[in-house]
Amino acid sequence: MDSLIRTFSSAQTNREGYQLAQTLSPDLPQQQLQAIWNSCVHHDAQNVIKRGIQNSTSGFERLPKDEVQGWSDVYLAYWKAIGELLPALNQAPQSSWTKVYDAWKELLSALYRGYIGQGFEAWSIPCLYVVAKNLRIFALKADEERNNNVAAGDTSGQIFQDDFDPESEQHQKLEDCARQLNRIFTLCLNDRAPLEESRKWGIYYIINLLFKTYFKLNSASLSKNILKTLSAYRGDMPPLSAFPKSQQVTFKYYEGVLCFLEENYFQAEEHLTQAWSLCHKDAMKNKELILTYLVPCHLLTTHTLPSQRLLEPYPRLQKLFLPLSKCIKRGELHAFDLALLNGEDEFVKRRIYLTLERGRDIALRNLLRKVFLAGGFEEPKVEGGPRVRRTRIPVAEFVAAISLGSKKALEQDEVECVMANMIYKNLMKGYIARERGFVVLSKSGAFPGTGV
Amino acid sequence: MQWSSAQPPPPGTQPPAAYPYSAATAFTPVQVRQTFGQPYSAAPPASYPSPPVYGPLPTHPVATPLHTNPAAPLTVASPSTTQEPAKKKIDWPESVRNYVQRSFQTSNLDPSVTRAEMEAKLKETISYANDQGHMYTVNWEKMPLPQEMIKEERARARALQQTSHFSALSISPTSSKKRKSTDFSEGAAPPWRNGQNRLEDRITFNADKRPAPAEEAQSKTQSKFQKQLEKRQKRFDGGYKSAYREPTPPPSDGPVVGTCETLEKRYLRLTAPPVPSVVRPERVLRQTLELLKRKWKKEQNYSYICDQFKSMRQDLTVQRIKNEFTVEVYEIHARIALEKGDLGEYNQCQTQLKALYKMGIKGKSIEFKAYRILYFIHTANRTALNDVLADLTAAEKEEEAIKHALDVRSALALGNYHRFFRLYNDTPNMGAYLMDMFVGRERLAALCNICKAYKPDVPLRFVTEELYFESDADAAQFILDYQGRDLLEDRDGTVVFLTGKAKELFEGPRKAAFSRVDIKGQI
Repeated sequence: MDSLIRTFSSAQTNREGYQLAQTLSPDLPQQQLQAIWNSCVHHDAQNVIKRGIQNSTSGFERLPKDEVQGWSDVYLAYWKAIGELLPALNQAPQSSWTKVYDAWKELLSALYRGYIGQGFEAWSIPCLYVVAKNLRIFALKADEERNNNVAAGDTSGQIFQDDFDPESEQHQKLEDCARQLNRIFTLCLNDRAPLEESRKWGIYYIINLLFKTYFKLNSASLSKNILKTLSAYRGDMPPLSAFPKSQQVTFKYYEGVLCFLEENYFQAEEHLTQAWSLCHKDAMKNKELILTYLVPCHLLTTHTLPSQRLLEPYPRLQKLFLPLSKCIKRGELHAFDLALLNGEDEFVKRRIYLTLERGRDIALRNLLRKVFLAGGFEEPKVEGGPRVRRTRIPVAEFVAAISLGSKKALEQDEVECVMANMIYKNLMKGYIARERGFVVLSKSGAFPGTGV
Repeated sequence: MQWSSAQPPPPGTQPPAAYPYSAATAFTPVQVRQTFGQPYSAAPPASYPSPPVYGPLPTHPVATPLHTNPAAPLTVASPSTTQEPAKKKIDWPESVRNYVQRSFQTSNLDPSVTRAEMEAKLKETISYANDQGHMYTVNWEKMPLPQEMIKEERARARALQQTSHFSALSISPTSSKKRKSTDFSEGAAPPWRNGQNRLEDRITFNADKRPAPAEEAQSKTQSKFQKQLEKRQKRFDGGYKSAYREPTPPPSDGPVVGTCETLEKRYLRLTAPPVPSVVRPERVLRQTLELLKRKWKKEQNYSYICDQFKSMRQDLTVQRIKNEFTVEVYEIHARIALEKGDLGEYNQCQTQLKALYKMGIKGKSIEFKAYRILYFIHTANRTALNDVLADLTAAEKEEEAIKHALDVRSALALGNYHRFFRLYNDTPNMGAYLMDMFVGRERLAALCNICKAYKPDVPLRFVTEELYFESDADAAQFILDYQGRDLLEDRDGTVVFLTGKAKELFEGPRKAAFSRVDIKGQI
């Protein structure tokens, strides 16, 4: 406890937010945690801590009484939380991560009250980061533990509804954590102090934590709320570029993924590209994550495929995307279907399956293009004039091609439908003359974007 | 009333009290009790920091500062520390000192009351008087000695425990213990109580017999804390009434077992624990199901059937019956709702069925899984669709109904309306009713495609067949619905659809159809 208080006092004197945050971290080696826990006797801890804090700063730096009280509350809560944490780490029979979570939540509340009522200063917000981050970790552990232990029996409580309440239990603690994080978010957002001393600087860190939590809880709608709130307050806040790069990258990434999930591919591409460019060149894992979404996005927006060179440092991504890319390039429908099926589990897990499916369109287009090219050239109308490819193609040819490509016979109607789609999506330019059984393609640019 | 702490605190509050006797107080006087060796088992968790150490004549700091923040249990820590500096100076009048001396006199000591108990009682009596400001007004000469008070309490508590009044209120054991401890401090007839010591006053379970009026009548100088205490109680008695109705069976009792024998029952939303006499047990419900099946076949009266099914579901839920019969009930209701296009009810049943299947209960899980997929296609819920895909096992994917639903999904994803309508034609089980919900918008999308791709026109018959209309007339009607009058031309006896002229006509309606999916407020 003494060493904590010493660090506290030096941090206070130097106004070192991150140093102060260290004092509240639970990530210390177990011996140290044990030492802290043992350093105070239960009924005395309150006083010891308070005295320690009072004496830690002196002279001009002396903390006002409110703050002393606030900080001693915080450290008391921290100390209690360690008391719960130690048995949990040792997996003692009485321990439970739920208790750790609850104790840690108390710590967060104490900190929150400190900022609201007791005049904690804004430079100390890294404390919030540390505490919030760990709250989330403990919530996850508590949920996991509970789900492992839960029997198939009923939970208690009267039922005043008509039906059971399924599946509300699974992420109980995480949901609670999300609510707590939201409180902190509002705390940071609503700070009216001038910018140099404002808590607003913590906002993106908290937002990123919130995103992580909401993603785990699978609720994109809550994430959208955050974005909306953020844009409502945009006038008051410093621009994103003023925040540390790490926070920027994470934020852009999540924003991109959110757009992606809503099929807003153009915007998603923008965000993800920004994240990509800001990302540290050595942060391989992050880059891989960004690419996982950027590649399918790019595929749909520009119909281009990732190059070998791009994917080279990422063997996992290679495994994911390369087989598909090959099939798309060659227009092999059947092989495409197979490759999609093979990778289905992986894709579904990352929620890119539905997007990659659309890649089939591009494979199809490439196939049809081949037919077009194979059709050869028409006789030039004017001697010596430019050669023009044959643009009136019997549907039968397409039918043959597609049947070959997908290894099953398709009816003419279906092929026509497929081509109608191509035309509608601007992958092909022309029209279908149904009675004649022809497809008339545009002379200039039948397949936009492919140079034909 | 102070002793409302006898009842388990409503969720979200701490029963605050200045008084050392209530459990989970803002003070930590229970620890103080421990220093006197009190045998209370109603002690709150001893995790609070050190109690202020009291001397034999304790000075009780005034309670008021504590109660500015009563509901937050965390303020526990701070008050006890502020107690120490806030000690009041107390003047002990001669009579009080005499009283104390008398209590300790050996001749007055009672063998059945331990010295520790007596001391505690003494301290309490005096500090209470001090708090109330009655120090000088109380007649200490006449005041019964602490040990007498204790004996009185015990006798009364014993007497009360035998009354049936208790069992009717079905108070949990811990609270009766607490009441005993509160009995203690009441004393035989402390003058300031004006003899209104009835247990009824103290128990706030009885929401009708509000203790407040009785209280207010009593002491004129109620401390601010007491007033706040009452206010708080009233707030919770009022607001939580629906959940804290009297008599409230404790949750640990288990599900209700019904005794009603009537087969039919109208549906009423529950706001309180159900009464067994109107809940039907399972065997009666089985008969009800048969009856309802017959009635549905005969009368096809949806509102009646829906009502009856909802009440059956309610009975099953409150009795916590989760078995194959429950699954059957939900499945039948879901199918009926689908048939009538009632997506809201359908969705409720579907959610329950999912949970029941997950528990391992047998039923038509494949059929309903396919419905779920179709439903998510309808609501365009990509996340859920993704999750369902993730959940499917390879075996399930081979099942006809699920395969069909998956094919529908992929056809729509690629815009292959031809295939989509072929699949629509041939839907297993009752999936067609679900598909009906989004056939309209898919037709619009297909029309847009056709208009752009086919030039200059196509026979109407083509549209009818591709888009699976019942007849040419229906197809024409659809086009007319979107102001397509000019697009239909009669050419040599057949109607032709002029795609060339359509331009952007169907784009607007198509966008509108895809933008909002009305799920009737029930996720």
